[in-house]
Amino acid sequence: MSILSMQGVTKRFGDITAVDRLDMHVAPGEIFGFLGGNGAGKTTSLRMILDIIRPTEGRIAVLGEAPGQEHADRIGFLPEERGLYPSMKAIDTITYFGRLKGMDAATARAEGMALLERFDLAERATSPIADMSKGMAQKVQLATALVNRPDLLILDEPFSGLDPVNQQLLEAEIVRAARRGAAVVFSTHIMQHAERLCDRLLILRRGVKKFEGDLAAAQGLVPPTVRLTARADLAARPGIAAARILGRDGDWTRYEVDLSPDNDPGTLLETLTREGVLLRDFEARHAALHDIFVHLVGSEPQGEAA
Amino acid sequence: MTKILLVAAREFRHIASMRSFWVSMLLLPAALFIAPLIHDLLEDDEPTRIAIIDRDPGPAGEAIAARLAFEDRRDELAALSRYVRRYELEAADPAAPWAVHDRALTGADVAAYEDAGGLEAALERIDAVRPDDVRDFDPPSPDYALVEPPAGLAEADAAAIEARRDTIFDRATAAGPVPDDIVLIETDADGRPVIHLVSRDRPDATLLGIVREEAARALRTQALAERGVDPADSATIEALAPPIMISTPQPGGGARETHVIRSILPLALAYMLLMSLLLSGNWMVQGAVEERGSKLVESVIACVRPWQLMMGKLVGTTAVGLSMILVWVGCAIVAALMTKGIVADLLRPALDSIATPGAILAIVYFFVLGYVMLSTLFLAIGVLSDNMNEAQGFIMPMMMIILLPVMYMLQAIVQDAGGIGLQIMTWFPPVTPFAVLARLGAGIETWELVGTAILLAAFTALMLWLVGRLFQASLLKSGQKSGIGQLIDRFRIAQD
Ligand SMILES: Nc1ncnc2c1ncn2[C@@H]1O[C@H](COP(=O)(O)OP(=O)(O)O)[C@@H](O)[C@H]1O
Ligand SMILES: [Mg+2]
Repeated sequence: MSILSMQGVTKRFGDITAVDRLDMHVAPGEIFGFLGGNGAGKTTSLRMILDIIRPTEGRIAVLGEAPGQEHADRIGFLPEERGLYPSMKAIDTITYFGRLKGMDAATARAEGMALLERFDLAERATSPIADMSKGMAQKVQLATALVNRPDLLILDEPFSGLDPVNQQLLEAEIVRAARRGAAVVFSTHIMQHAERLCDRLLILRRGVKKFEGDLAAAQGLVPPTVRLTARADLAARPGIAAARILGRDGDWTRYEVDLSPDNDPGTLLETLTREGVLLRDFEARHAALHDIFVHLVGSEPQGEAA
Repeated sequence: MTKILLVAAREFRHIASMRSFWVSMLLLPAALFIAPLIHDLLEDDEPTRIAIIDRDPGPAGEAIAARLAFEDRRDELAALSRYVRRYELEAADPAAPWAVHDRALTGADVAAYEDAGGLEAALERIDAVRPDDVRDFDPPSPDYALVEPPAGLAEADAAAIEARRDTIFDRATAAGPVPDDIVLIETDADGRPVIHLVSRDRPDATLLGIVREEAARALRTQALAERGVDPADSATIEALAPPIMISTPQPGGGARETHVIRSILPLALAYMLLMSLLLSGNWMVQGAVEERGSKLVESVIACVRPWQLMMGKLVGTTAVGLSMILVWVGCAIVAALMTKGIVADLLRPALDSIATPGAILAIVYFFVLGYVMLSTLFLAIGVLSDNMNEAQGFIMPMMMIILLPVMYMLQAIVQDAGGIGLQIMTWFPPVTPFAVLARLGAGIETWELVGTAILLAAFTALMLWLVGRLFQASLLKSGQKSGIGQLIDRFRIAQD
């Protein structure tokens, strides 16, 4: 049961292959992260889902059908490049988009007011966009995406350019939409948000999918590290690939340990205990999404060139 | 369809919220309203003031004064006669000089008119038969007024007057009315009158003619008297003139005049089409450029297909243009009703000539389709340019392509110089609507009408298709150099 799926989707612009044989699917109620550096093909993929551009090859199913603007009434979209009609009033803008998505004027306006209320912008409802601060305009644009209570919410780099307060508000809205049962697909190159929010995620490198799955599965790709403090010398023990000394306190030494591929933190603790190695603390750390990304893509998410 | 209308409504509201829209829309009616005022202001209805200093015992001085008065009377009578003829009011008094239109007015006619009580009496009779919707008679302002000579000139000779020309004609310092011309009549050594005309400006030819004629007549009469001819006889002889029978077209008739009048409404429509197109085309370009510049187009085309967005823009802009024209036409009608006179006189035959179902259909068809077609061209500009500066570079040549032929066309129609040029332009799609509207009054062959209608429809469809592709391909692009290569590139991408 997926609300969105891609099968073998490829998009070429001339010689550039922006998206290469991509398969993916998203279920209702799921928060799905599209991760990748600049030029990885995130925007291109999202635009194909919205039928703003057409794939060169492959099949896309949105809400069980081919993509198209006739699904607009069930979709919310926040593009990467933000912008609104500067002379239009905030509430009129939201109402306009609501109506483009098939709502009647009164419902769209009421829903728009409710959103502005929630975003603490109710008293600016009749201000023209041009008179608003950038942060306010961003909230209005988010409202245009949410006004029709979409079943599929698509956000392209939604966190970029937001101040911390608005980032929090956006995270709350994403969670809220998912609780309601909507599928949320967002792209980002900032891993912290994805780590906090995503039920499942997909990592793209130059149009090619490197990973799709939940966070635990991603963490499984990179062995965890262990931090421990011991008296013994841990340098040459079986099951330990490398041990870095972080500091000393009397005869205690603090280590950061990389496990060998077949090992895991539990086994290590068991071995050490059985061998009578005295430990003052033991802490297993899962790889951060950032590290997983670097591991899979081979470069920093911000720095990847097209 | 609803989406197209939604986009159109937004476009309409957007343009209607711009100050430039209101200024442009009200400019034309304001001009219509102000033009007559300025015309009145500039019109010279001040009479020419003439002072006569007569030191000759002969009749020349009186004759000139009498003739000037006669001229004004005759002008008044002629105007009244034209008025009576235009509104067919001869029944008021078929024998009156103002009810006879087939010969030049003579001194006897003016005398009869005067004897019958002049203008006041004539209007009294005319009012009795005048229908309510006929405007009042507006007598012409007199051309001449006799004034007293400036003080201190009674004894001065020509040289003395000449010496004081700076002060006598100076309106700022003079006490009484300042004459425009001073006619000084003296007697020479042979006892014959000598006339000096001292003029503030160049004297007008008519005045010069009158002075010469009357002085000569006085001399002749005097000479005849010296040779023993009775002054009464000589006056009779002087007055001998063959009656001049004249035939002029009914006001509003006449070949050329009819032709122009029949063309007035279509021409006015063509002109309004042009004006409102140039304005709304500009707004359209601006809107399209802004929409792409502010990056909001992606949100819109996530909800609306590009062709729907394009059609919405076209419908919205066309609606703006047409409502502008409706306002203008409304103003014209109000003006016509208010002035009731001349405008209505022109309007009635003008309306008659195009008030057939076929003509109305043709006007509406060419007007609306022309609007859509040219708006599409403007939209193409908006789609090809990344900013307003760049767009201006396209708008100028585009305006020239439309403006020059249309200006030539309007000129040609008014001067009744149709010909082959006009015919060719009719088949050049960008100006077809103007050409057809312009030619409608003079008459245009049915086959030509149908042919150009089909051509225009085909051209409009082609433009819509081309610009539609361009629109779709260009929506998400900006910042790239525009050029032929780029254009072809966009078409290629649009094929994907
Ligand atoms: N309209 C387009 N024409 C040509 N190339 C494009 C177009 N859109 C995207 N690309 C190329 O496709 C690749 C993927 O771009 P994009 O999907 O925008 O990446 P991301 O959103 O992940 O940063 C880039 O190399 C970009 O240059
Ligand atoms: Mg992107």
